[in-house]
Amino acid sequence: MIIEVSLRLSILVALLAPAALLLAFGLPALLGRPLRETSVGLLTRSAMLVSFAAQLTALALYLGGGGEPEVLSYGAWLGAHEGAFRFDFLVDGAALSFGALSTGICGVVSAFSVRYLHREPGFHRYFVLFAAFALGMTLVSLAGSVEVLFAGWELLGLSSALLVGFFHERRAPVVSALRVFAVYRASDAAMLAAAVLVHHWAGSGSLALVFSNELDGGATLDAGRATIIALLLLVAVAGKSALLPFSGWLPRAMEGPTPSSAVYYGSLSIHAGCFLLLRAAPLFEQSVPARVLTGLAGIATALYATSTARVQVDVKSSLAYASLTQVGIIVTEIALGLYTLAFLHLVGHACLRLLQFLSAPNVLHDLHELENAVLARESHAPIGLPSPRVPRAWYLVRLERGFVDELLDRVVVRPFSRAARLLDRADRVTCELLDRPAPGTARTMERGPADPGTS
Amino acid sequence: MFIHHNTLHAFEDRPFEEAVVAAGRRLGCAPFLPEERYRTELARGRLTASDVTAVLGEDLGERGPETVAGLISRLELRRLVTLGGIPEESGATLAWRLAESPCLERLRPDAALAAREPAEVRVLFDASLAAIRRAPSPPLATPPRLVRHRDLLLEVHGVDVDELVHPVLIRFCAAYLDQGLAQTSFPGRERGMYTCFLDLYGSPAARLVGSWGPELVALVGSERRSTRSALASIEASLGALGVPSGEWREMLEDTVLALRGFAGMVRQLEKRPDRVPAHELPARLEDFVAVRLLFERAALAHVARTEASFSGPLSELRDHLHRSRLPPAPPSELERAWRLFHLAQLAGLDAAVLEHLGTPEVEALERELCEHDGVERRRILHLAYERHLRHRFYDAVAGHAPDHGPSEPAIQALFCLDEREESFRRHLEEVDEGIETLGAAGFYGVAMYYRGEGDAHPRPLCPVNVRPEHYVAETPADSGIARWERLGRRGAGLVGQSIHVGSRTFVRGSLVALLGVASIVPLVLRVVFPWIAQKLGRARAPLPKPPTRLAVDRDETAPPIGRHTGFTVDEQAAIVDTLLSNAGVGRLAPLVLVLGHGSVSLNNPHESAHDCGACGGGRGGPNARAFAQMANDPRVRRLLAERGRSIDGGTWFVGGERNTSSNEVTLFVLDGVPETHRALLARARRSIDRAREREAHERCRRFDIVPAWFPPRAAAMHVEGRAADLAQPRPEYGHATNAFCVVGRRARTRGLFLDRRAFLVSYDPTRDPSGAILERSLAAVVPVVAGINLEYFFGYVDPVGYGCGTKLPHNVTSLLGVMDGAASDLRTGLPWQMLEIHEPVRLTLVVEQTPERLARLLETSAPLRRLVENRWFVLACLDPDGSTLWHHGSKGFQPYVPERPPATVRGGSVAAYRGRRGPLPFVRVAP
Repeated sequence: MIIEVSLRLSILVALLAPAALLLAFGLPALLGRPLRETSVGLLTRSAMLVSFAAQLTALALYLGGGGEPEVLSYGAWLGAHEGAFRFDFLVDGAALSFGALSTGICGVVSAFSVRYLHREPGFHRYFVLFAAFALGMTLVSLAGSVEVLFAGWELLGLSSALLVGFFHERRAPVVSALRVFAVYRASDAAMLAAAVLVHHWAGSGSLALVFSNELDGGATLDAGRATIIALLLLVAVAGKSALLPFSGWLPRAMEGPTPSSAVYYGSLSIHAGCFLLLRAAPLFEQSVPARVLTGLAGIATALYATSTARVQVDVKSSLAYASLTQVGIIVTEIALGLYTLAFLHLVGHACLRLLQFLSAPNVLHDLHELENAVLARESHAPIGLPSPRVPRAWYLVRLERGFVDELLDRVVVRPFSRAARLLDRADRVTCELLDRPAPGTARTMERGPADPGTS
Repeated sequence: MFIHHNTLHAFEDRPFEEAVVAAGRRLGCAPFLPEERYRTELARGRLTASDVTAVLGEDLGERGPETVAGLISRLELRRLVTLGGIPEESGATLAWRLAESPCLERLRPDAALAAREPAEVRVLFDASLAAIRRAPSPPLATPPRLVRHRDLLLEVHGVDVDELVHPVLIRFCAAYLDQGLAQTSFPGRERGMYTCFLDLYGSPAARLVGSWGPELVALVGSERRSTRSALASIEASLGALGVPSGEWREMLEDTVLALRGFAGMVRQLEKRPDRVPAHELPARLEDFVAVRLLFERAALAHVARTEASFSGPLSELRDHLHRSRLPPAPPSELERAWRLFHLAQLAGLDAAVLEHLGTPEVEALERELCEHDGVERRRILHLAYERHLRHRFYDAVAGHAPDHGPSEPAIQALFCLDEREESFRRHLEEVDEGIETLGAAGFYGVAMYYRGEGDAHPRPLCPVNVRPEHYVAETPADSGIARWERLGRRGAGLVGQSIHVGSRTFVRGSLVALLGVASIVPLVLRVVFPWIAQKLGRARAPLPKPPTRLAVDRDETAPPIGRHTGFTVDEQAAIVDTLLSNAGVGRLAPLVLVLGHGSVSLNNPHESAHDCGACGGGRGGPNARAFAQMANDPRVRRLLAERGRSIDGGTWFVGGERNTSSNEVTLFVLDGVPETHRALLARARRSIDRAREREAHERCRRFDIVPAWFPPRAAAMHVEGRAADLAQPRPEYGHATNAFCVVGRRARTRGLFLDRRAFLVSYDPTRDPSGAILERSLAAVVPVVAGINLEYFFGYVDPVGYGCGTKLPHNVTSLLGVMDGAASDLRTGLPWQMLEIHEPVRLTLVVEQTPERLARLLETSAPLRRLVENRWFVLACLDPDGSTLWHHGSKGFQPYVPERPPATVRGGSVAAYRGRRGPLPFVRVAP
């Protein structure tokens, strides 16, 4: 009983700390009276520390209490006669350890950012978004209902896009941020559809149904329905984790400040998709096509990313594709059912890549030292120009990142916008036809704004 | 490698004030700070109204007292407008302001008029408007001529062709120039950039580079078949674009400037292949231009067809676009009236006066306002801003009674002339009365290619305008230990490399990633506890670095770079003699320290920008060590004695290096210090230790996160941690706040608190009767010092245009430079984090010499004269025998009348700065 209550309490603290942080930074910023830099630093670090400690406590309590996964409900936001939007959190080993890991990493990165962004005009904006991110990560890791998961997922997406566009006085970051945002929207639509279907078919938004077979009260989804939900989730994951064919946004996301690139695309956000796949593994196990597709997406992404990474000549793109390689491999491992391996891989990779991203500006220094250590010789021989035998077209394809963006534009974006314009024109024509009886309106319609479809 | 350089070097043959405006227009950068910034400084007292009046008086000369429109003298009018300012408003914002803000109800606070009620203000505005209507509209400024098709398309259709071209071009250039960041490098680079481009983008895959891919592939295909050279291709492209040969120059300049970072890097690799980090490449600017023009042609053809619905040949596109350009609008009556309205308030012209103004008077007033526009006001304000600070410096230097220090110094310490050594020298003199300090260009006359023990490549260590002829290597004294040490280092290096490379691959990457949790330890240590991480890193090295020696002596083996291996004894003697005479050293102390400097910091692509400018952005320790070794050599001393400079056996030189970021000082004592000098060396070490703590303390006053109560020891620890902190974008502030240079005896500045703002070069006028030493000295010092000063100047004035903006999104590219984020031009110049505390003022060079001698020197030295007369720096001279100071202005050398003598502060330097963050007044410091 005591264990039960303390567990509930620590989960609550773990969630409230980042939520309070978001409020503490967001409100004063809204009122135009931002906090001082030192207070921001102190608050972020203590909130992350509290949340981290709370999740570690919860993990200890959970393991001490026998290690049975359970759903903790903290009430509902609104309920209708059949369903409700519930604040449910799923407590198990994976959730708590991933939650603790992400909060710990957020803590380290916030300590980094306070010094790194010192005196930057966007200092406060950065920390508001960072708090939103930390909250989002905690929600995603502990989510026990589709609603909570979706809220966390959206916080990640929104803060991610806004941080890509952090330097909004230049054009490139804004364009890239818009691209990231658009890809997220498209894949989040799949997530939303999955959420609706879960509600519809399961009668509640509880993720216990899809996330863990232990809690499954016997009622399982049939294979067809499972496949549909699994495929929708796969699209959501592919968007967030930059799997093919969505990979094009990842190098563009390197526009933000170094620590945000590190924590999003090196360490946490990029793995959020993998984590979701791990949680949803029981669902995927019921659907062979979904598993096969996941595996294919994973392995294709890994191969694509590793061959692209080798020719990148800027350190952040090279790291981005290196991350993506491992993300692809992790996804493949999940599809193959190697869950423990995948989880260890994920955790290790998140830590390693974070360090590499955070010290990316040090690459000149590092490579210089490595080169000195490895190449120092008695006599100095000038290094010739290495000229690898690579087919030129293949080199170009890799240099241009497989043309993923251009292909996506040609296959989806441009046809889509053409179709939208066509529909718009059809809409106008129909309106005109319907409005014909009233001569006055017809005339104003004719003088209306120029048809964007023809301009 | 980062070398300080005048950003506007190409404009040096023009007067400074004209050049900044011209360059600003050409490059789209700001010529001066924004007007409001000067006005804030005016309110703060950083410059005063009397400075503005003085500057205007000198600038206008005889035109100053003339009356404008029979109302007010030109000087007075311009003074009022400069000090008060006229808010720049036009079009919709002006309409909004007139309608919504209280500017038509209340007079401006500095108005020379009184208005009892709001209606009177409106009457004044109406009177201004009426007056303006009586005068004809002033002549239209001609709109800028647009040469590039892209600029025209952007103006007329709002489409930016560069946005299509640049991402592809940037990736291509960066991949071609890569010095080893990518694992797979560009195939076949030795064939040159242009050929590589044709091969790469002629392949059918290139159709997918963008919506304009098909055009590109077709164009490159035809270009390939024609087998033209790059130059011929440029000519063909210009022809195809319809550019007449009279416009080629402008067109090519604009084309190069559109991606100036990469273009400049290509040019640099072409001109100075000896400074290329790793791979020499056949990089040529003409290749770059040819490539760029072909990309542009393809993209233009596509955009013209799809966005501008233009189907004719590309050569007619420009004319087509020119026809669609809108003519520029003349300033509206409201805009003109707005300016007159403000002038009336400032000059105290009431509505009645305005009503009586005739057409010629209104025209005269408007002409005056046009001439004294925003840029002109900023120029005047800037001159006043510089003048104020310069006069405070003149006051300090001229009002300072020479302090000759110890008559028989126990230790002499020779430093780089760097202004960051000013504070270190001052503290060293304060902690040990028996130390005399000297300053010289920090390569100490030893221009060499140097390869340290454990370095993969040699690098030049000398000013950038010198191409060294000598190669010097550091060799281990004991090859046995060295071999083990090297093996150990190689092993560690290979492990490091396999992690670095492996983590980016597929299979090895998975293995590394599985063990990746271990990286949490270095991560937390280096981010959260940098000071501990640094100490641990030190302790980790199992053995102290094995002793080494420098092979400075001539050796007949062929050097890997340069012309000779080592220096002959003659050359060594000449180096020692020249330096000691330049610095005006007479008697030598028993111990002479020669300290070079460098800076080590983490996560800082601009790390070498903090290194020694006189060593071409390298670390000056090896130069100092080589110099000491030469000066200790008995053979060299014998030769010197023959030349009349005897160095007796009682004198010993010790080389060393100071890390300006962590403030650690290394002395190369392993070169065998005689027993007799051990005690003195121990004393030197103690004094240096105390000085470096105090200096760190003084430096920390600029860091916001260091509280004022920090004791010197804590400050020393703080700067050590700072240098090892991954999260620290400001390991040190580098040359920020530099503003002055004094060439003269230390006695003229010893005991003055110069706030780390002055380069100090030792020179003794009494030992230079012919002026030859001064000429030599200035020729070496001025380019380095003025280069540093101007780079900081321009970086601060336009941090994004001339500098490289904020460091936070920087992305190291090709191991050659940084981009902003994912794909931008290479960013050149200084990052804002190095500049933020700077005050942009041109260098003032004070030479301790008579004006006659300097005037003669200017006549004989053309490069120096060009810089002085064009005011790229300001020259002044200080009487060697008295306290008169002459300022070199438009009328030559004029004596400066001191305004206020410097204050005296008791209690050492710490009393002069403690508890204050901003720039400080120059004061005399007494113990």
